[in-house]
Amino acid sequence: MIVAERKPLSEIKQYVEKYKKILIAGCGTCTTVCLAGGEKEVGVVAAALRIAFLKEDREVEIIEDCITRQCEPEFVEPIAEKVRDGGIEAVLSLGCGVGVNFLSERLDSVLVFPGVNTKFFGAAVEPGVWVEMCAGCGNCILDVTGGICPIARCSKSILNGPCGGSQDGKCEISPDVDCGWHLIVSRMQKMGTLERLSEFVPPRDWSTSRAGGPRRVIHEGMRSQNEGSEEVT
Amino acid sequence: MSQQNGESTVIAPCTVGCPVHTDNRQLVDYIIHGEYEKALRLLLDANPFSSVCGRICHHPCEQNCRRSKVEAPIGLRRLKRFVIEATKEHRLAYSKARQVPPGEMERVAIVGSGPSGMTAARDLVSMGYPVTVFERSENPGGLLGNVIPRYRLPYEAVKEDIDDILSLGVKLVTGMEIGRDITIENLFREGHSAVLLATGLSESRTLNVPGIDSEGVMLALPFLQTVLSPIPPVLGKRVAILGGGNVAIDVARSARRLGAEKVTIICLESPEEIPAWKWEVEEAHDEGISIMHSRGPRKVFTDNGHIKALELKRCTSVFDSDGRFNPQYDEMDTATLLADNAIIAIGQRGDLTSLNGSDVQTAPGGRLRCDPKTQATSRQGVFACGEVLTGAGSAVEAVRDGHRAARAIVHYLETGDLIEQPYDDPQALGELPDETVEKIVKRHPLVLDLVKPELRIKDFVEIERGFSEAEALNEAKRCLACTTGAFADEEKCAACLTCVRICPFGVATIEKTAVMPQEKCQACGLCATQCPAAAIALKRFGTTQMRDELRSAMESQNTELMAKPLIVSYCCLFEVTSRNWVSETTVNCLESGIVRVMIPCVARLGVLDILSPFEMGADGVVIIGCSSGDCLYPTAEQRLENTVREARGVLGEIGLEEEVIDYWRTEGSAEVSWSSFWEISRRKLKLMKDNEGERANDSSRAKTTV
Ligand SMILES: Cc1cc2nc3c(=O)[nH]c(=O)nc-3n(C[C@H](O)[C@H](O)[C@H](O)COP(=O)(O)OP(=O)(O)OC[C@H]3O[C@@H](n4cnc5c(N)ncnc54)[C@H](O)[C@@H]3O)c2cc1C
Ligand code: SF4
Repeated sequence: MIVAERKPLSEIKQYVEKYKKILIAGCGTCTTVCLAGGEKEVGVVAAALRIAFLKEDREVEIIEDCITRQCEPEFVEPIAEKVRDGGIEAVLSLGCGVGVNFLSERLDSVLVFPGVNTKFFGAAVEPGVWVEMCAGCGNCILDVTGGICPIARCSKSILNGPCGGSQDGKCEISPDVDCGWHLIVSRMQKMGTLERLSEFVPPRDWSTSRAGGPRRVIHEGMRSQNEGSEEVT
Repeated sequence: MSQQNGESTVIAPCTVGCPVHTDNRQLVDYIIHGEYEKALRLLLDANPFSSVCGRICHHPCEQNCRRSKVEAPIGLRRLKRFVIEATKEHRLAYSKARQVPPGEMERVAIVGSGPSGMTAARDLVSMGYPVTVFERSENPGGLLGNVIPRYRLPYEAVKEDIDDILSLGVKLVTGMEIGRDITIENLFREGHSAVLLATGLSESRTLNVPGIDSEGVMLALPFLQTVLSPIPPVLGKRVAILGGGNVAIDVARSARRLGAEKVTIICLESPEEIPAWKWEVEEAHDEGISIMHSRGPRKVFTDNGHIKALELKRCTSVFDSDGRFNPQYDEMDTATLLADNAIIAIGQRGDLTSLNGSDVQTAPGGRLRCDPKTQATSRQGVFACGEVLTGAGSAVEAVRDGHRAARAIVHYLETGDLIEQPYDDPQALGELPDETVEKIVKRHPLVLDLVKPELRIKDFVEIERGFSEAEALNEAKRCLACTTGAFADEEKCAACLTCVRICPFGVATIEKTAVMPQEKCQACGLCATQCPAAAIALKRFGTTQMRDELRSAMESQNTELMAKPLIVSYCCLFEVTSRNWVSETTVNCLESGIVRVMIPCVARLGVLDILSPFEMGADGVVIIGCSSGDCLYPTAEQRLENTVREARGVLGEIGLEEEVIDYWRTEGSAEVSWSSFWEISRRKLKLMKDNEGERANDSSRAKTTV
């Protein structure tokens, strides 16, 4: 799941304070689950802004909405239409960065602001605590590393760790951060597969990751006829 | 059993257990909210004999109560009595408001003014049918008015119910015995289109034992009737009562009050089998009455035609293998009991005088021939209800039967046909699972002492007192609010597991979306508060209810005119011990500047609820929860603390002072501590406001000097 965190309200307020009519759009999927941008949080942000504007004697109309997912055209289009038709001057998206992008693409003349900081792909290790576990690098090597991702969980994303900074299972950057390579080695030891780490692995091709530019995934079966016949580069 | 759409298919077992299906849970909720008038209306609509039943009902509701598994059931009967006692004036007004002017409808005659007949009369008259009730005795009320001893049921209670029914326009003719003074056929000739027989079981059964006719031997019902008369019966020192039911206990306890020193109940049953209610047996025991079990009468010894002693034989078994009453005796095992009087209380049977001169047929055994499903007798237009139809039962069952009879008669008068009304009980919510029981905070019920036995045996004054308001409110909060728990909107639920993680009772699970099995849910509302998708509501507390209540509280006041600082105070309803206090303190809103929102458990407050008042112009929010450690719901206090912290954080982020939110815990009770909390918070907020004003002045001065 994508994990995000609501931005400080002071920052949010700065984005939207020049507008008279704003929409706060929540997302019913990832940011709801990580308690950063669901329907309730939309309400809280809206209330906070109203209180802040009231204090400054400013009249601002704040509209609240929360859609199932801000990363699907079918869900996003109606809300975009609402913005266009409703004379809304600015949108604050509490979806992840994808939502902000996706909404922006659909709104030519209205600015969309991020209400959350999109952090990572992670898991809830305990109620209320999420930890990054995947970097979305596009070329998964978890088979080699005992199911633990060195790119996401090693602070340096090195592929031949641990480095000299690994101390008692913790990373040198902080005693709160596990050393990813320590985790990998311990797990592989336990599973009896440690020798796999001595296999020769050619240098990694990072073009599947951010280095290759914006990425896309195509599911041919699902793709509509027209698009399917296009040449994809 | 889940309730995904909030519509529950099962109902609270207390309601299922009640023969008239009183919505006890709603009743308790009204009490908690101080809405005693609504509670009264609910009660009376279900049961016109609510004053009586608040005193003497055998309360099957309590026997079914799911809280029994935690420690003890909710004292529902006494809560009902409390409602009745707290709303006497409103009851008169309510009766007036309900009066329906008699229309051009068919007339109905009802024979017998016991609970079944009078209930049917009320229902019919409320639908516009002119109704006359014929009663042979001078006092209306059937066994309630003429037999049940006053130490349990004061006549005022019976009178309240009867007067209420009569005030709706029911005509009552007392001292008129149908079948003797006038026949059923005459009633038809006089223009009645239907006749309802509600004649009860008014004759005591007797025993076929040598010597039973001797002087000093009496039958239970005539005995109890005379006890209520201006000249009560005179008894000897030693009184034996034959029978083990509730009537026998009433007879024994009355005998004790009439001065008998040694009162002995003789019954066929063993202690485990005795049919009298357990509490009746205990109370009789406390009054010095002894019970001889597994004995039956063999002979009455007499002296000059007056009873002297009873010869008793051992009863070896009471019921046969099919569970039928078929007592077996060991005639060789006998005992003698000296007695100056013996009173036979072995059951009642119907007196069918009313049928004299009519076409209504009887069945073998001298019973009325009547189909229990349609309540119709063999004579067209004649119906029957109450104990004459069902056999001995309880007052509330007679009331149920009266309602049924009214429906049967209305159907007959409207269509000319009979209607079958099977006795189907709705499905009850299942019992509390053991693992849930363990998690529920124990709260023992208040046990009210009866008048001390040595005092109460001196007269027929009522021995039980009702709840005070504080006691009633305290008892009401024990209700588990069965079937009103949480349910999730599948469309909105993101399966985020928040509810699963925070539920203090381990109720919620995720099956694609959140599911809260009703059997387990305690309706604390914590999941609904925390759900980030606003997908959870309580059946009785929607997702927006808190804000709706806030809005209506604010709108009901002219906030412009109110004293400043303007404070919204969210208060725990469970800590209030009198509703007058709540309304009194609400009245002075204008002066105090405090708008109150009363909620059942303030842990239901979410961050948004705490912020909303500021949007509406409040200067501060004062939350008052229960006393520390007193919350009904585990973890709720800590959740609320987190929520308050979060809300303060939000205010901090937009540059407001966090101290504008206060969280207090009740000390003692609302009445004892809340006013001082409000005052402290008010002063603090006032100071903050003054300082703020000064700062604003300073800065504007600074600007002008620059
Ligand atoms: C001693 C005793 C104690 C009880 N204690 C309790 C208790 O604690 N709790 C409880 O719930 N129940 C109790 N009951 C049971 C309860 O009283 C009955 O279930 C209820 O009264 C039955 O109501 P009914 O309307 O069927 O008949 P009844 O109350 O018997 O009323 C019938 C009426 O019909 C009248 N009548 C009969 N024939 C004629 C006629 N020919 N013409 C005109 N009028 C006629 C009678 O005079 C009587 O007034 C007790 C019963 C007894 C006997
Ligand atoms: S706990 Fe309340 S709702 Fe549940 S059975 Fe008992 S009285 Fe009825």
